[in-house]
Amino acid sequence: MDPEIERFVENAKAVGSEVELFPRVDDAVCFLKEFFEKNEIKSALIAASLKHREPFDREFSSLETKLSADSIWVAAGLAAADFGVAETGTLVRLDQSDEEKNVWTLPETCLCLLEKERIVPRLEAIAPEMARHLARTDIPSPQVSLVSGPSRTADIECQLTIGVHGPARLIILLIG
Amino acid sequence: MKKIKIDPALKKILQDFSASFRSKRQNVLQGYDFEELRTALAELKDRALDQNENLVAQFEEKARAHGSHVLRARDGARANELVLKICRDHGIQKMVKTKSLVSEEIGLNDFLARYDVEARETDLGEWIVQLAAERPTHMVMPAIHLTRQDVAALFSEKMGRRVADDIPSLVRLARGEMRREIFAAQAGLTGANALLAENGAIMLVTNEGNGRLVTTVPPVHIVLASIEKVLPTLEDALKLLRLLPRNATGQTITSYVSFIAGPHQGRQYIILLDNHRSDMLADPEFREVLRCVKCSACLNVCPVYQIIGGEAYSHIYMGGIGTLFTAWIHGLKKSKELAGICLRCHRCEEYCATKIKIADLITALAGRLREKTGVPLWKRFAFDGVMAGPGIQRAAFKAARTARRMISVKDGFSRKLPVWMKKYDRFRALPAPAAKPFSKMFEKEFVPAESAAESSKGTVTVFGGCLIEHFYPEIGMAAARVISKLGYKVRVAPGLCCGFPAGNAGFRKASSEAFAALLKKIEIDGPVITLCPTCATMLVRRGPEAVSSEKAKELAGRTIPFSRFIFEKEWEHLTKLMKKGRPAQKATYHESCHHHNVLRAGRTSRKLVEAALQTGILDMDEPDKCCGFAGSFSVDHPEISAALLADKLAAIEKTGADVVALDCPGCLLQIRGGCQRRGLRLRIAHTAEIIDQQMS
Repeated sequence: MDPEIERFVENAKAVGSEVELFPRVDDAVCFLKEFFEKNEIKSALIAASLKHREPFDREFSSLETKLSADSIWVAAGLAAADFGVAETGTLVRLDQSDEEKNVWTLPETCLCLLEKERIVPRLEAIAPEMARHLARTDIPSPQVSLVSGPSRTADIECQLTIGVHGPARLIILLIG
Repeated sequence: MKKIKIDPALKKILQDFSASFRSKRQNVLQGYDFEELRTALAELKDRALDQNENLVAQFEEKARAHGSHVLRARDGARANELVLKICRDHGIQKMVKTKSLVSEEIGLNDFLARYDVEARETDLGEWIVQLAAERPTHMVMPAIHLTRQDVAALFSEKMGRRVADDIPSLVRLARGEMRREIFAAQAGLTGANALLAENGAIMLVTNEGNGRLVTTVPPVHIVLASIEKVLPTLEDALKLLRLLPRNATGQTITSYVSFIAGPHQGRQYIILLDNHRSDMLADPEFREVLRCVKCSACLNVCPVYQIIGGEAYSHIYMGGIGTLFTAWIHGLKKSKELAGICLRCHRCEEYCATKIKIADLITALAGRLREKTGVPLWKRFAFDGVMAGPGIQRAAFKAARTARRMISVKDGFSRKLPVWMKKYDRFRALPAPAAKPFSKMFEKEFVPAESAAESSKGTVTVFGGCLIEHFYPEIGMAAARVISKLGYKVRVAPGLCCGFPAGNAGFRKASSEAFAALLKKIEIDGPVITLCPTCATMLVRRGPEAVSSEKAKELAGRTIPFSRFIFEKEWEHLTKLMKKGRPAQKATYHESCHHHNVLRAGRTSRKLVEAALQTGILDMDEPDKCCGFAGSFSVDHPEISAALLADKLAAIEKTGADVVALDCPGCLLQIRGGCQRRGLRLRIAHTAEIIDQQMS
């Protein structure tokens, strides 16, 4: 494996992410189907970028749900990252819509697709892309999300505890 | 001074937290040059502060282009009104918040409550603290003072059922409650870790994910941020991001970092708060306080914070850096008690992400406080009355020497002190004044080494300082013997106070006068070797700031701590002169605050002691933590001084050493006095004494 990718995997695990490797997108889809089945997941938040993309649309659109004040829990979220950062094991997403922003934080488990070739050594390497995205005025609210591991707190007795507000599990599906 | 209560359970939590923080931080900084990173960040913040007005205007323009509403608030009252107006305009009755220290600063929650708007914190620690109707006691760990049992009892009471006290279930329970509140709220309010001028975005750094929920779930997002948070570009924010989590919590990065530009589904209001920050910006001495990125590393390593906690050590903002903010934002008066709690040990400065000279600024603040709010009578008498004038200074110490008979001296300690001094010598025996001051003893008794007579190395001046002059002349004599044996002619500086204690207590004029008097008398034609790092700090740093003259500059340039002089100039010569084959001694080394944090001479001393004793140093826990002497601090806060000393003695005992080496006569007074009270039979010795002994 490319040392940069190896470093990404190592650092992603160090911040509490789980990493699964797949040669092709179809293999990741198989994993997802099994995962949803095994964990009896009937609904999920799905990132807009995956909605009109095959095979995701075909396989998972039936799971799709929306949250509201009456329905505040969802078991899984399916997201796609634009970049991975090797130095810290971070996922980077140039978010365009509100639904997309929530995929990272509302579900109990967040599953995220990332292509190996999108891994960069440091955040600084993609600073121009991030800056360009934040300067966009053609979309309502550009946001750059950096996600590194599950939601965590150490607010009670300084003991690390996961899943306080956001997901307790972050599973990265690394493709390529 | 108000007596501060010490809660042993809280002290243990805070000290354990500090130890774990320091070790995690060290791990994530491996492979990075902290000094380089923080220098770059400090310069970046300085540049941003220089052009603050322009950057704020640029941010405003760019944020508006995204559709955000940007509002300015001159002070806290105005900011509170603006938030209330937004609430009324949008029919907001419930608001959820995340980590907005600024909202604590302006008392937003209480203000809104008066108008029936409920503001709920969502950061777990703050949520707990709010539920308990308490205040945060740490900037990053707001509920650090509560145990899991406290939290379980609180939840049981509020939820009307018994709640188990294991942490994961407590967190799970809070997760549900907080999620419901977030979905029920009509607005979310956040602070910002940075405001980006180039694109009008805010940066939010969180671990729990509440930052994201609060900004995306409710229809209205309010940002409440102070003006010094503005940075020119995203790249600048990334430099901040590289250091902030590492220095704040010992993480490479936090779980979530969001850059948000413009309103999401509904509206976004950005309130930019000044609240006296423009005044700080206009003050050349104090403006660097605004470099603060609120990482709280300074708090995590503060020896006093670890003992008394954030409730005692805060108005709203905590610790040393908090004291400086308090003085500007909440007024000088509110900072007065807090300024007296700082040891001025400078340990925080070693950890600060933006190199803020916190301890020096507290000293400068003490000066302003003295001038504007007055000080206790005893300090006025001691510093203005006695220490400022060389004549009366000499007379006072002479009177103390004549009192030796009355105080009954044994082993160098005073045995019969007046009753009012009891609280100062209960935890630590106090030394008796020496029968002869060092300068007199040197004049009468010193015999130069034979080698010095033939040598052409020139003359050095030994600067003992008040404690050596009046209490520990034997240290001065030992240093003089070592230097003489290395081939130098020795002269002793006039036995006058350098002016440090007065300056430290805020008596700037008395301090300058004392320093000027010393400057007038001292002869400088070679190195000036100091035996007290606090005096050295005065000679190299504070003195030239107070008195700007060529001679002050020359003195600063010639001043060198004893251990550094020997190490840099005479290392090989010294090792040849050291007698071999002495019985091995087990030694540990205490890193005195000014020696270690200001002069950075700790390493050289350790090497000297190791070479002299021909043994490795047995490391004590936190050798760089203050022993609690800290000059007049131990008079103002004997209870904290005693607690620090107890910890220091415990750390020393744990090493099993027989000898404690150090470089500061103040620490020597404290630790030796503590050992005497505890009945510990240890040798507490200045580096000069150890080397002298091994040479003879």
